[in-house]
Amino acid sequence: MAEVVLKDIRKEFGTFVALERLNVAINAGEFVALLGPSGCGKSTTLRMLAGLDFPTAGEISIDGRVVNDVAPGKRDIAMVFQSYALYPHMTVAQNIAYPLKKRGVARPERDAAVAKTATLLQLEPLLNRKPRQLSGGQQQRVALGRALVREPKVFLLDEPLSNLDAKLRSYMRAELIELHRRIGKTMVYVTHDQLEAMTMADRIAVMHDGRLQQFDEPEIIYNQPANRFVAGFIGTPSMNQLEGAIAGSSFVINGEQVPINRALYEQALKDGPVVLGIRPENVSLSGGSLPATVRLVENAGHEQIVTVEIPGGHRLLAREASGQRPSVGQTCQIGFDADFIHLFQPGENGSRFETTGQAHVIPMQAQRSASDES
Amino acid sequence: MRILRKLGFNLFTWILVLLVAFPLVWMILTSLKPQTELFRIPPTWLPETVTFEHYWRLLTETPFLIYFRNSVVLATTTTVFVVVLGAIGAYSLVRFAYRGRETLATLVLFTYLLPSVVLIIPLYLMMVELGLSNTLASLVLAHTTFALPYALWLLRSFMEGVPEDLESAALVDGASRMGAFRDVILPQLLPGIISTALFTFILSWNEYLYALVLVNSDAVRPLTTGVMTMLISAFNIEWSLLMAASVMMSLPLIVVFAFLQSYLTRGFGAGAVKG
Ligand SMILES: Nc1ncnc2c1ncn2[C@@H]1O[C@H](COP(=O)(O)OP(=O)(O)OP(=O)(O)O)[C@@H](O)[C@H]1O
Ligand SMILES: [Mg+2]
Repeated sequence: MAEVVLKDIRKEFGTFVALERLNVAINAGEFVALLGPSGCGKSTTLRMLAGLDFPTAGEISIDGRVVNDVAPGKRDIAMVFQSYALYPHMTVAQNIAYPLKKRGVARPERDAAVAKTATLLQLEPLLNRKPRQLSGGQQQRVALGRALVREPKVFLLDEPLSNLDAKLRSYMRAELIELHRRIGKTMVYVTHDQLEAMTMADRIAVMHDGRLQQFDEPEIIYNQPANRFVAGFIGTPSMNQLEGAIAGSSFVINGEQVPINRALYEQALKDGPVVLGIRPENVSLSGGSLPATVRLVENAGHEQIVTVEIPGGHRLLAREASGQRPSVGQTCQIGFDADFIHLFQPGENGSRFETTGQAHVIPMQAQRSASDES
Repeated sequence: MRILRKLGFNLFTWILVLLVAFPLVWMILTSLKPQTELFRIPPTWLPETVTFEHYWRLLTETPFLIYFRNSVVLATTTTVFVVVLGAIGAYSLVRFAYRGRETLATLVLFTYLLPSVVLIIPLYLMMVELGLSNTLASLVLAHTTFALPYALWLLRSFMEGVPEDLESAALVDGASRMGAFRDVILPQLLPGIISTALFTFILSWNEYLYALVLVNSDAVRPLTTGVMTMLISAFNIEWSLLMAASVMMSLPLIVVFAFLQSYLTRGFGAGAVKG
């Protein structure tokens, strides 16, 4: 049974609509990432789950109970804030004990629980310090500890790693995955870092402009993005998107033809404008049919990102194993791996043509109405 | 060159300090001189004989202690009033969104645009209506009206420095709104509260005009007006008693200041730097 359900959530701030028709059902024990660019409504969603903000319309339930009118402290959730929000005047031990204290847990049990949590997070040597005497990573662990100590049903985490440096971040990422595996609790994790979402989450809810774009497993999000936004947002460098048209059984851009699979072609609009999407790793710099000029080569050690320009001025990125280094100005015939070509409807955020099976119903619907308006 | 400049600055500062401190020092010295030494020309710098007779007379033969008690009650009550109302008001101004919030905050300062003299008569009439004329309560109310606006602004800038996430975290951790306010916000606000309290206490302790108009019996007079009416008449000023009274009036402030000085200076810098 779904543990956390957001049903038809709408949130307005004055006249500004921050969230619209948000439908998400999260299973017990699942690690779900809310992913999206800044300002898309991730924190708002989380704050509503926590009871710190209230939906203008819609229903939130946790563990089968509608909690719209339930105070934050009574929802059986814990939250880790982006700023950690440690109580500056309390020691680490007091910080961690606070949620228990507020729930009337007796002193001895409280101390035991704090000790247990401290062991889990390796905080024992820090218990008597004040938050300002801790490093960013340590503060982050204390914030986690304060959430963990009372074993709530659901954990809400708002960009908990964003204040850490890159190295510590990847370390804490691994720690969090491990932690989730060990305690098996439902976690809702807000991030704008797709790498975090892809590596940590069981499922990712991709959001954009207050609307859910796609809610699925990381592989599906990556391999079958619901629309142009998801395609462009997931993956670094992001997916190349070329606006062209279907003519005959090929994709045509600037008079040049790109062969596409028959299955895909049959799904697309016959003879009309479409957008072709292809990830940089599926672009080859030779053996294709599209003439191009190398414009830029960025070497990242184990691989290189090559920017090429095709007639008409469109630029594409190709990801190549490093080795032979193409030179700037060199011309080549690029080709796309036909199995990895996506076709999208034209328009700012056109949805993807499915080759197999059914579309992901909710995101696609939300999506279509979004592109209708634009 | 640099040493000269440093010397210059030091000299300048010390001259300022002396200018400010001299009357205080003179007040203390005068209060310790016997009456005969008081008007001698040339004046003696240090008292030739040190005497505490003025203090003794003040405490035993005059209603000084009653005035002192009145002042303590008045300043303390006003301070409690102002801090409690100010903290709650500042919380509301910072945390809740409602129509006219900014206007309200600005309007509150409007009191300071009007000279006290203009406000006193209406205030007096109101106190009479309320049946509070000639009571300490009327003075508490009056002092609250002019200390509260500033306190509200001071506390507001402190409150803005308290991250909202802290309160949210407390709510999620199971605290009620009041609980979160008590456990998390108040401790963060402590420096602000202390400097507001100090400010209010000093203001109320030294206030003269309202006290002069609103109360006129010895039983409820605070120190400021009490000492004045007691020792200064049209024909005679009891200088030595006055000085002794002044020293004792200043004493509580000096003690309080000495202990909480760092908080006060922090309070005055609140808008600029958030500690
Ligand atoms: N209290 C508020 N009043 C008005 N608008 C708000 C309020 N809170 C959020 N918003 C708006 O709602 C939108 C979503 O905000 P939200 O904080 O959820 O973004 P986010 O996805 O968490 O972004 P970020 O990654 O930057 O944290 C933003 O456009 C923001 O300006
Ligand atoms: Mg956010």
